[in-house]
Amino acid sequence: MGPLEHLPVLMVVIFFCGAFLMPLLFRWARPICAPLMVAILAAALVMAIIILQSVYQLGPQLYHLGGWPPPWGIELKVDLLRVYMLLVLFVISLWIFIYALRDLGNELKEELIGWYYTLYALLVGSMAGIALTNDLFNLFVMMEICAITACAIISIKEDRECLEASFKYLILSAMGTGCFLLGVAMLYMATGYLNYDYLHGSLVEAIALYPRNLLLAAALFIVAFGTKAALFPLHVWLPDAHASAPSPSSAMLSGLVIKIYAFALLIVFYEVFPAEMLQGVPLNEIILWLGSLGAMFGSIYAMLQTDLKKMLAFSSIGQIGYIFMGIGFNHEMALIGGLYHVGVHAVTKAMLFMAAGVIIYATGVRKISDMDGIGRNLPLTMAAFAVGSASMIGLPGTGGLISKWYLSLGALEMGRPFFVIIILISSLLNAVYYMPIVINAFLYHGEFQFRVKPVPRVMLATLIFGMIVIIISGVFSRPAVVLLEDAVSRFF
Amino acid sequence: MELLRNIADNYYYMVAVVLFVIGMYTMLTHSNMIKKVIAMNIMDTSVFLLFVSVGYLSGGRAPIVDEGLSAAAYANPLPGALMLTGIVVAVSVTAYALSLVVKIYRYYGTCDYDEITDIRSRE
Amino acid sequence: MEDQIVRLTSRLVVPFIQLYGIYVIVHGHLSPGGGFSGGAIFGASLVLIAVSFNLEAGAKQVSPQSASILESGGALGFALTGLAAVVMGGSYLANRAAGFPIGVTGDLFSSGAIFIITLFLGAKVASTIVTLFYNIIEGEKKDGTPEKHSG
Repeated sequence: MGPLEHLPVLMVVIFFCGAFLMPLLFRWARPICAPLMVAILAAALVMAIIILQSVYQLGPQLYHLGGWPPPWGIELKVDLLRVYMLLVLFVISLWIFIYALRDLGNELKEELIGWYYTLYALLVGSMAGIALTNDLFNLFVMMEICAITACAIISIKEDRECLEASFKYLILSAMGTGCFLLGVAMLYMATGYLNYDYLHGSLVEAIALYPRNLLLAAALFIVAFGTKAALFPLHVWLPDAHASAPSPSSAMLSGLVIKIYAFALLIVFYEVFPAEMLQGVPLNEIILWLGSLGAMFGSIYAMLQTDLKKMLAFSSIGQIGYIFMGIGFNHEMALIGGLYHVGVHAVTKAMLFMAAGVIIYATGVRKISDMDGIGRNLPLTMAAFAVGSASMIGLPGTGGLISKWYLSLGALEMGRPFFVIIILISSLLNAVYYMPIVINAFLYHGEFQFRVKPVPRVMLATLIFGMIVIIISGVFSRPAVVLLEDAVSRFF
Repeated sequence: MELLRNIADNYYYMVAVVLFVIGMYTMLTHSNMIKKVIAMNIMDTSVFLLFVSVGYLSGGRAPIVDEGLSAAAYANPLPGALMLTGIVVAVSVTAYALSLVVKIYRYYGTCDYDEITDIRSRE
Repeated sequence: MEDQIVRLTSRLVVPFIQLYGIYVIVHGHLSPGGGFSGGAIFGASLVLIAVSFNLEAGAKQVSPQSASILESGGALGFALTGLAAVVMGGSYLANRAAGFPIGVTGDLFSSGAIFIITLFLGAKVASTIVTLFYNIIEGEKKDGTPEKHSG
């Protein structure tokens, strides 16, 4: 019993405390709001690193809220897989927040910024909760907090597109939660538990007694998480929502929010459902096929876009497809690839949205065709865009290659080379729509035709950090892969 | 016959499922935003109904500790407690959705999705 | 709306609604109810004033500013009560295990931390309902966006 023992819950609570402190502080002590938020995010990151260390030494840890043990109380669980997700979450949210400090003043009204901090803290806290929780109902509550705050950081920009996009997102995500809750009810009816470990234990018996109920639950979970994570046919809300939002919100939504639901699906399918259930019905195949369709169609839709942020949003649909493919293969290598892609795509897409944000900040240009020759005026931004594009395509030296490499290895070891071809084709499609932007930006012969405002140094510094992370993830991928190997080895 | 009797015995599950499908269908097909929000509530309520009916014990008492009563006589309090949380969550989503509708109405003068698409395509 | 009957009735009823709201909040651990239900009843009484008189009369009871302060404060209080348990040596949100005094079952003060949490929750819910009401009613005045009817 030491102070370290409380770290799992503190990682969530610190955000909720901060979130409710913000409106008060913004009223009375405005200058300390932003530094305090940075401090909270940094503190959470430090806690996650300490937990990583202690998980390596002592193994997975459980935390019982209020001292009530399961199956009665809420349980939080920390293991390598969750710590990996938390590290990705905190690093990227801290990084996006530092970018947001300068960008928000450009896109929001002054008096709303305090509320934006509140929403941001709630969003990060609820995502940490989704990653940490070991209880289905707690997952539901955290998912709802996440859904409302994710809609709210879109609609806070109060123009017509944002409000509409946010309403559409809210309705579809409410449909997702409805399905999720019905699935939870099915599991509760069959077993009487909500705790993951207890569910796992009793589902092994329940599967013989109530096969249809449990199958229905699994199907509902696929629909619920698929809607929220923009799995291919359920993605309709994503382009509007991610494209119209303020740039930091887009980075957050595309970078982290859709991943956390994919992660939750992974946890539910691998930790809660016993292996027999997944063998009986080809649930994995469904996820795999939907993921690969998403990887293809997301890229095809992205090619047709004229608006830069919309193109990036459609590209997210394609990229989330890879992550679902990693989950669907049911093979260690592929799962490592999918999880690695969670981190890599979070960094890359967040950086691309930030670069788009810088372009909009400096020039006001949103249309891709207007961006010819912009590379000479904003060299660093477009360099970042180029690195990000390279990682999306999966060129050597970037993180995108590593995740596609492991995915393909997994596909080959499962004896399904067909999916390697899908990965290759969709990478090619990525190249088709990312590369022309970069090429035209630098090699266009005419002059860039818009006035360019100077860009704050902080924004450029965040872009440089992103480039460094992407290249490091491509060159020194070993530590992260080793961590993921340890994390997922218990599933196979 | 057996199937029919099962259905008759578990009619509350049927009601819950019918409500769920009504809610989902209305939510996805109606173009009026207020109706979408109402449908969202119908859908949530159906799940609450299902959950609470799971914990119901016919003839069971409220689970308040009292001398001289065996544990078997209590209705399961957990689903009820969970659904209270669920109701709070549904209320907050509804409030947020309605405030969005108010704002959208202010821009377009309508809360019908089709009309909004019309207005936008004409601009 | 200028209706004498509505005004007189609501003036008569509001104190009782508020008293009942407070009763439900503080007896949350003894009888059905608690922070959410009690807070909702209390908040409804404030909304009733604003509806039956006018917005100014409602704002005189609880101004939108103080409501939003109370809202954040209530939630913060909840989170901090949980943290207090950690400081006192229990788990997060622990009650008796952390050393909160538990009185005799059936007394008003017989639930340790739950009583404190319910109070915060009641304040939070009541003020949230008031803020929601004002936001939906007054949004137009505050953000100043022009109304646009094109269709």
